Amino acid sequence: MDLHSMIHPAYGLYLALIVGGGVVAVFARSLVRALSGLIVTLFGVAGMYLLMAAPFLAFMQILIYVGAVTVLIFFAIMLTRSSDGESGTEGGRIGRGFLAIWAAVFSTLVLAAVVVRHMPNAIPLKPEVSMGRLGEFLTGPFALSFELISAVLFVAMAGAVLLGFERRIAK
Amino acid sequence: MTQLLQLFANPLVYLLVALIAILTFIALNGLILVYVERKVAGFIQRRPGPFEVGPHGLLQPLADALKLVGKQLVVPRDADRILFWAAPLLSFAPVAVCLLPIPFGPHLVGLNVNLGVLLVLAFSGLNVLALCLAGWGSNNKYALLGAARAVAQSVAYEIPLLLSVLCVAFTSGSLNFAEITASQTHGLLSWNVFTQPVAFLIFFVSALAETNRAPFDLPEAESELTAGFHTEYSGMGFGLFFLAEYSYMIVVCAVASVLFLGGWSGPFLSGHWWMLGKIYALILAMMWFRWTYPRVRFDQLLNLCWKWLIPLSLINLMATALIINLVR
Repeated sequence: MDLHSMIHPAYGLYLALIVGGGVVAVFARSLVRALSGLIVTLFGVAGMYLLMAAPFLAFMQILIYVGAVTVLIFFAIMLTRSSDGESGTEGGRIGRGFLAIWAAVFSTLVLAAVVVRHMPNAIPLKPEVSMGRLGEFLTGPFALSFELISAVLFVAMAGAVLLGFERRIAK
Repeated sequence: MTQLLQLFANPLVYLLVALIAILTFIALNGLILVYVERKVAGFIQRRPGPFEVGPHGLLQPLADALKLVGKQLVVPRDADRILFWAAPLLSFAPVAVCLLPIPFGPHLVGLNVNLGVLLVLAFSGLNVLALCLAGWGSNNKYALLGAARAVAQSVAYEIPLLLSVLCVAFTSGSLNFAEITASQTHGLLSWNVFTQPVAFLIFFVSALAETNRAPFDLPEAESELTAGFHTEYSGMGFGLFFLAEYSYMIVVCAVASVLFLGGWSGPFLSGHWWMLGKIYALILAMMWFRWTYPRVRFDQLLNLCWKWLIPLSLINLMATALIINLVR
């Protein structure tokens, strides 16, 4: 038994985490439970990155998404929650259920048809890219997209600050 | 014998043995630190501390542990049972992963990964999540207030912490704990604490805040919030939070000694003694702070972070980058 024999069980485990977390996130009645489902899914995705020999992305996924983004979502839930912390929309359940099943079946059929028609070849796994190379790529060929993302984030941050200030003045 | 060695060479078996060793270390360390903390508190307040159970109260932590294990587990009414019990587990579980990549000696390391620093930072961030779930799942206003404070505090202090770690990563050009240690083995002056003193200060202050230790123990704040996020926990639910806090102290002190104090490097003694000595020296400093400083107010806590630590760490980072570019 060596590490390579663990690839398939690990893949199965991560897949189960992703799907299970997603199911919990969709079907949970309480928002915080749904958020825990999302966290489980994010962990599964991080595991997938590890399998793809991209540990940097995996750790960043945990650091940023699990450690920061979900905590912010949690904060938002805590500040805005109703008295019982649940947000259910009642009425039209049967119609909704029918539409949901139809959407799931339709998208599954389309995806299955595409995969069967154009079966992709297995891509040989590339070796782990070192941090130095990653940095060179981000500041070299991909510098423009990198800067664009920074600009978008900066605009979002400035907008948040602006909104906060306006509300304070209005008081 | 050779078969046993071959078995040990299997990476999975090695990892398992390392995990068991780390969990043993964590448990022993919890017992020792409970005793040390109570003794230090006693000495600082000019009283003997625990003295009755065993010689000099040495068996006190064992009695405490037995008491905690024997207590009934109570779930408050209308609490979210699953999240309520998931929280202490989620708080404690990442600790073992955090200690895996840390080299306790030249060859004493659980998992030698290139991105070890990142691994520790990523998994230690899960503690906030556990505090949130605990606060929310308890269905108690004190717990919820504690959770809200924990979020604001941890999110704020993570930034200067990461920036000060980045300074060290710049100077040693690696995120691998073993390589960072190796770059500090050329005598006392090659330790990063001398090349990056500001980063060390920022790191240690932020680490105190991240581990919710006094003077930054606002999520707990027993004089205002009863016990903050773990108000409703009894028995081993509380015990796990307690153990997790002491284990995170070990984690941050181990990371601080590897990043800034040369890790296992030192003369005469073998590496692991130096590493343990540095870790426990930092932990004693943390206890000393706890019993010396009063708790900060919440606005003081956030002002310290956003107005002082973050700008300072940004300036420090830019200066480091500039100097490295000039030297090269």
